[in-house]
Amino acid sequence: MTAPSVQGVRTTPAAAQPFGRGGGRARRRGHRLADLAGVGPPMVLFCLFIVVPMIVAVALSFVRWNGLGAPQWAGASNWAQFFRDPVAHTSLVVTLKVVVLSYVVQTPISLALGLFTAGRQRYRAVYAALFVLPLLMSTAGISLMWESLLDPNFGALTSLAKSWHAAFLQQNWLGDPSLTLYVVIAIIAWQFIPFHTLLYQVGRRQIPQVLYEAATLDGAGRMATFLRITLPQLRYTVVTSGILMVVGSLTYFDIIYIMTNGGPGLTTRVLSLDMYNAAFQQDQYGYASVLAVLLGVIGIAVAVGLVRFSGFTSMGSQQEGAA
Amino acid sequence: MGHTGVAHRRWLAVGAAAAAALALAACGSSAGSGKNASSSGTATMWLVTTGPSPANTAVQNLVKSFETSHPGEKITLDFVENQSFKQKIQLAMGAGNAPTIFFTWGGGILQQYIKAGDVQSLGTNPSWASNFLPSSLGAVTYNGQLYGVPVQGTQPVYFFYNKKIFSQYHLTFPTTWSELQTTISTLKSHGVAPISLAGGDQWPELMYLEYLTDRIGGPTVAQDLQANKPNAWSNPAVTQALTDIQTLVRAGAFQTGYNSTKYSGSGSDALVFSGKAAMQLMGDWDISSILGSDKSFVTDGNLGMASFPTISGGTGNAADLAGNTASYVAISSKATAAQKKVAEDFFKDALTSTDYAKAQVAAGEVPVTSGAVPLFSGQQLQSYDTSIYNSVQTAPSFQYSWDQAMTPKVANILLSNLAQVFDLTQTPAQFSSALNAAAASES
Repeated sequence: MTAPSVQGVRTTPAAAQPFGRGGGRARRRGHRLADLAGVGPPMVLFCLFIVVPMIVAVALSFVRWNGLGAPQWAGASNWAQFFRDPVAHTSLVVTLKVVVLSYVVQTPISLALGLFTAGRQRYRAVYAALFVLPLLMSTAGISLMWESLLDPNFGALTSLAKSWHAAFLQQNWLGDPSLTLYVVIAIIAWQFIPFHTLLYQVGRRQIPQVLYEAATLDGAGRMATFLRITLPQLRYTVVTSGILMVVGSLTYFDIIYIMTNGGPGLTTRVLSLDMYNAAFQQDQYGYASVLAVLLGVIGIAVAVGLVRFSGFTSMGSQQEGAA
Repeated sequence: MGHTGVAHRRWLAVGAAAAAALALAACGSSAGSGKNASSSGTATMWLVTTGPSPANTAVQNLVKSFETSHPGEKITLDFVENQSFKQKIQLAMGAGNAPTIFFTWGGGILQQYIKAGDVQSLGTNPSWASNFLPSSLGAVTYNGQLYGVPVQGTQPVYFFYNKKIFSQYHLTFPTTWSELQTTISTLKSHGVAPISLAGGDQWPELMYLEYLTDRIGGPTVAQDLQANKPNAWSNPAVTQALTDIQTLVRAGAFQTGYNSTKYSGSGSDALVFSGKAAMQLMGDWDISSILGSDKSFVTDGNLGMASFPTISGGTGNAADLAGNTASYVAISSKATAAQKKVAEDFFKDALTSTDYAKAQVAAGEVPVTSGAVPLFSGQQLQSYDTSIYNSVQTAPSFQYSWDQAMTPKVANILLSNLAQVFDLTQTPAQFSSALNAAAASES
């Protein structure tokens, strides 16, 4: 495209200029077309599978519909039902517990493991491979494996408790109302820590070694280098991993559905499970849409809030300590 | 893989219900275009399966012989996996794309389809209906009209017990509630878990409520519940049944971790045949289930079967049953006239035939066909089959499993609240008011 104007041998500036400008316009137009061609298909898919369903969910939250026949207009009654529904309120609290505890448990462990696997210790690669194992397993597999390990009658932990005389290992892990939520949160952490470990490992590897050398010359100890260099440099990794954790655990469903189905009582009944029950067990698509919209709004609000609050949008390179 | 899963789950959550709805709406609009019309003379049929089984083969053979004896009439048979069936048929019904002949458990879900005008009536009292035990057709009868025909056997619920444990401690199976409580304390004193309960699946807990309600208040209580009568859940029989359940829980009648034990895998069955627990309340499929896990336990005659005990002062008959009376097939009203004819011929000429009853027995089922007793002779489970069949035939009332008989909404709320009663996290009064509210929203 640009070749003629560059090659313009002995043309007068007056003659060359319009040609050159024309070429520029054509180029810009070409870029715009190329941009559209590139962005178009994903935008169409995004609208079709994300924006449209969201709009439909909002619309459905105002109708009564059991999946058969025509939906009936219900006004705000589905929303009023949410405010009167004690189960939904419990679910909201359980969901918040899962989100907060998942973040609190997963972040420090992932950070520690990530920094460890980014190092140069002996057998590091072996450990790193072991840590990543849970990432290779399907959620259903993880659930069934833990279910059989924790079985109060035939489980491995119960056998251990008997042979080691360790009574504290013999618990009704998935049926004790004061215990089960924490067991489930621990298993979710076991599943997702490897992924966040990888994020931190990559983040740590990208911090230039010169920063550490300089700090060591200045007499900084291990703690000081961690607090003054590693942590600030990992800031955006912390934010990325945090958003994924929070939004992911907000809508977490699989392991809880398979292992406890919300029980015992309502102790592990998260909002996504409540929504599943409303939609696919009770055929209350209107009310389920209320829960879906709520989950969506909370998820988007939390994600946007985290991005704003952490200054993630003004993300600049911090390589070489440029910031 | 993991990370895309996490990142996109938010969007999945937002769009899940909506996407399903969108798909429905899209299909619904094309429903009138006559997708079924092209295949006149060929009916489609969906049955539920939990995996390859002799019962499936029996139906396949039945279809083959039906096609041979009815030239020009064809049936395309599909098996749908049990767990996904409820959703799949609901979507197909909503979209007007249901198969000509569809599987159903009868009860509340079938009633929803009938009310929406999706099910073809089979008339008030077709002549061939007398081929079935009368108690088996209640679940598919609505406003006096018959809507379905039994396709697979009956599944009443009994206590199944480990005879070795009972003889070891010189016990006979209790016939009254107070005897049961004595038996429980004896077994506990010997370190045996009295009752194995798959509470992690919730539905096994419902069997206790069904039987206790019947034994205390008789069959009319459950009929009121299923009709969503106002405050039916506050019936004293229900409250008493819930209180009795909590008394059992407090007495330690169920094994450690009863509320997280599941029926499948090394679950509640294994506790019974391994001798860790003495008994289990379960549908009659439990016999073949234990036969599959520990064959000699059954063939050596260690598996006992007994009716649910009576309760003194209760008005229910000791011979009343609870469970799945049968499973059925019904005809979609959206099918073409030619398809409906094929389906009706199939019901009349094939499903009611003695040959099919024989094939069902050979497949380990207990059919609800009249006069089936002679068919059981020589079968591996002859004694079980005969007593099951006789108890179904003589039962004054056979109440259909509530989670199938009630509408999906009430059934789901019922199971989750009953689990809390078994967990002792909910009182009978709280249970009743939650269920009354759910029933009121449905009527």
